[in-house]
Amino acid sequence: MKAPRSSMGSLLAAPAVLYMVVFFVVPSLILFVYSFWTAASYKIVPDFVFSNYLNSLMSPLFWTVTINAILIGLVTASITLVLAIPVGYYLVYVSRSQVILYLILITWFSSYLVRIYAWRTLLGTSGVLNTILLQAGIVDTPVGVFLFSRFAVAITLIHIYLPFCILLVVSSLSEIKKDLVDAARDLGASPLGAFFRIIAPNAANGLVGAFMLTFVMVAGDYVTPQMLGGSSGQTTGLLIADQFRKTGNWPLGAAQAFLMFLVSIALYFAVKGLGRATGLIVKRRPAKKVGA
Amino acid sequence: MILRIVVWSILAFLLMPLVIIVLFSFHASPSLSFPFAGFSLRWYADVLGSAQLGSALVKSLAVAGFTALITLVLGAAASLAWLRLGPGGRALLEVLCLTPIALPGLFVGVSLLVLFAQARVQLSTVTIVISHVVLALPILIVAMRARLALFDPSLEEASRDLGASQMQTFGKVTLPLIAPTLIASAILAFAVSFDEFVVTSFVAGTETTLPMYIWSMMRRTVTPLINAISTLALLFSIAILFMAWLIGHLRRRSAVAGRTVS
Repeated sequence: MKAPRSSMGSLLAAPAVLYMVVFFVVPSLILFVYSFWTAASYKIVPDFVFSNYLNSLMSPLFWTVTINAILIGLVTASITLVLAIPVGYYLVYVSRSQVILYLILITWFSSYLVRIYAWRTLLGTSGVLNTILLQAGIVDTPVGVFLFSRFAVAITLIHIYLPFCILLVVSSLSEIKKDLVDAARDLGASPLGAFFRIIAPNAANGLVGAFMLTFVMVAGDYVTPQMLGGSSGQTTGLLIADQFRKTGNWPLGAAQAFLMFLVSIALYFAVKGLGRATGLIVKRRPAKKVGA
Repeated sequence: MILRIVVWSILAFLLMPLVIIVLFSFHASPSLSFPFAGFSLRWYADVLGSAQLGSALVKSLAVAGFTALITLVLGAAASLAWLRLGPGGRALLEVLCLTPIALPGLFVGVSLLVLFAQARVQLSTVTIVISHVVLALPILIVAMRARLALFDPSLEEASRDLGASQMQTFGKVTLPLIAPTLIASAILAFAVSFDEFVVTSFVAGTETTLPMYIWSMMRRTVTPLINAISTLALLFSIAILFMAWLIGHLRRRSAVAGRTVS
């Protein structure tokens, strides 16, 4: 019985696996090979040099935008996670409100570009935020720094990725039994206490995962920095995208894409290490012991 | 109580920009700030009258339709395979699905661009569809896998034991059970493709999908016309979600869910 089931499975999985190999694995490998090639006067020459990596690492511009991307990524992902947790907690433990869930899904499904555009109109010098501040007499002249700054990029990215992060938090909290939280609450823990002593240690892996996924999405987002970042809010993603669109040095862009990939991986281990060192991440104990 | 206030403030933050977008799509004047100068439908009239926009919309619908169809066929087979695969096969499928989801669209976009350039494939609507499937397929498989976890393979075995052929079993037992999940997943794939911008911008060549069109307008200027387009896009997303919700309700009555209750 087992053997035919398994071969049938392989047959059914084959088209999808083949598709992903041809259009995801192979392109990634070609991109990697490209990162060792050279570009001479708009022609790409097969080669084997490390200069794309070395030139990027020695370029001050690369470091400026990469540090920018990491900073924006860390700040945005942290705030996003902090905002996502209460909503996730509420949805999992307080009320499985369909209304709230669908409101979140509506924002998640609303167009990516539309949300960038929304913040552009909100934050502009004649935008809604400035008009309100002016009319309330809080400021005398429109505040220009709202738009085209790291602040604008961060708030927009939070808005774009918060629904996604909430859904990740909901799925990681769902693994922790409500009984545990109820028990803690019955024994007098506040919601915050219950969160830090019961949920955080048990859901740590899921929450770190949610943080890192949000970080990767945010740090790799180049459209928002391009629209709202001005000159101070540029990121590595935009630098890479420009190599493939404007200047045409694809090998250099490929090398920078892989450098950014490495940075993300390094950061993932750094966050995990930090969690372990501060005791926030502990080896998951069996549920029974925690309850006892 | 405090928690409820916090939750609703966060929801207000999420919804407020969308509400403002919708509000100013009805603005009588071209400005996008208060005081509100009165309601008008002029921007909607402009939207409906724009031939360029119409052709971008048709292109996006066609791309999303083909993407959903291809993704559904490949993804449904892979999800059914999931029920039959050993741990090795599952791990392979999992890595192939989760890696593209965990990577920024930028990475997927430039690697596909490099692939098409290397294979000397002309960028066109076809390359857009190929690329969208790369994004939608993993999401579809992950979503379907979660729902098919409720599927009981012994139903198929019962059907085979009672003398049905493999094709009959699939047509009369498996397919009706998983149909709502399939349709909901296809809608998801459609939505992913319809809104996709980042990857599209690398592989579209000279083709203009709706998000590409919105992007080119956004870069030039800020006008309520974009608000009107955005509002229509928003309504479209809500309609899609509503369809998925409706199918979810039907699914609850289907045998797949019924078995978990018993």
